[in-house]
Amino acid sequence: MNLNLLSYLLFFPAMLAIAVWTAQVSHRHGRVWMLRIFDNEAAFVDAVNNVLLVGCYVVNAGYIALVVGRWELITSLPQMLATLTTHVATILFLLAWLHYQNIAVLLIWSRARSRPRPIIRITGQRPG
Amino acid sequence: MNPTWGDVNVTPTNHNAMTSKIVLAYFIYLPLALGLTLYVAHTLFRNGRVFMLDIFRGKADIADSTNRLFEVGFYLLNMGFALLILRIDQGAEVNLGIDGGGYVTTYSHALDTNQELVEVLAGKLGGFAIYLGIMLFLNLYLFFRGRRKSRENRPLPPATDTAVAAAY
Repeated sequence: MNLNLLSYLLFFPAMLAIAVWTAQVSHRHGRVWMLRIFDNEAAFVDAVNNVLLVGCYVVNAGYIALVVGRWELITSLPQMLATLTTHVATILFLLAWLHYQNIAVLLIWSRARSRPRPIIRITGQRPG
Repeated sequence: MNPTWGDVNVTPTNHNAMTSKIVLAYFIYLPLALGLTLYVAHTLFRNGRVFMLDIFRGKADIADSTNRLFEVGFYLLNMGFALLILRIDQGAEVNLGIDGGGYVTTYSHALDTNQELVEVLAGKLGGFAIYLGIMLFLNLYLFFRGRRKSRENRPLPPATDTAVAAAY
């Protein structure tokens, strides 16, 4: 087995595990925020949340697989460790960035929803 | 008399056809890509039912039918795309000259090692997965849009006396 192949076999499952873990944490703890945003409609929130979870899996796993195909030729163990670490770091930064984006969207959306709004209902009839 | 080009058996022999892993790559790619499509579509439309019920105001029969129709459309579109990007090219032909009565044709990208197999498959499946993710989010956006439009057109529920009193 050459070192490129060995690196791929170490890199892909490890990164996949981290991506899946991040997605599941967001899925579990984002639900409370989404309930706030969508007026406690639990069925609707769960539907959206599940679709977002799968979307997160597919896009993250897809990107991790996509970067596997383009590594330099690895000829020695020190080079392998350095290359592997650089690629792991890239994925971790990317996941972190996406994660903070998610948090920002939840915060901004929930703040926009919780702003007091006037309840005006035009009924066309006067109180009797 | 020196042999001319016409005397030499110039039938091209492709030595890489024996060792190339392209067919193996196809047989790994197809189940994975189609399985991924099934998984994504199944999840999307199991959860899409809630949106459809919302859009069609709780009419379960028409909501389920519409959901199923869109699900089949999603399968067809994405499986079609998975098959469309199946082809793996061997790269540029490199001709090494004449060897034992035929040309030795080799390729710059022969796909005859496990490393190349993993790299090509990872690139294809990764790209396809990202495409599927984009289609998933597009569908989710359309669900949201349908729900919003349906709510905009919905007549308000009859106001009660207290609500009317509160408005004044």
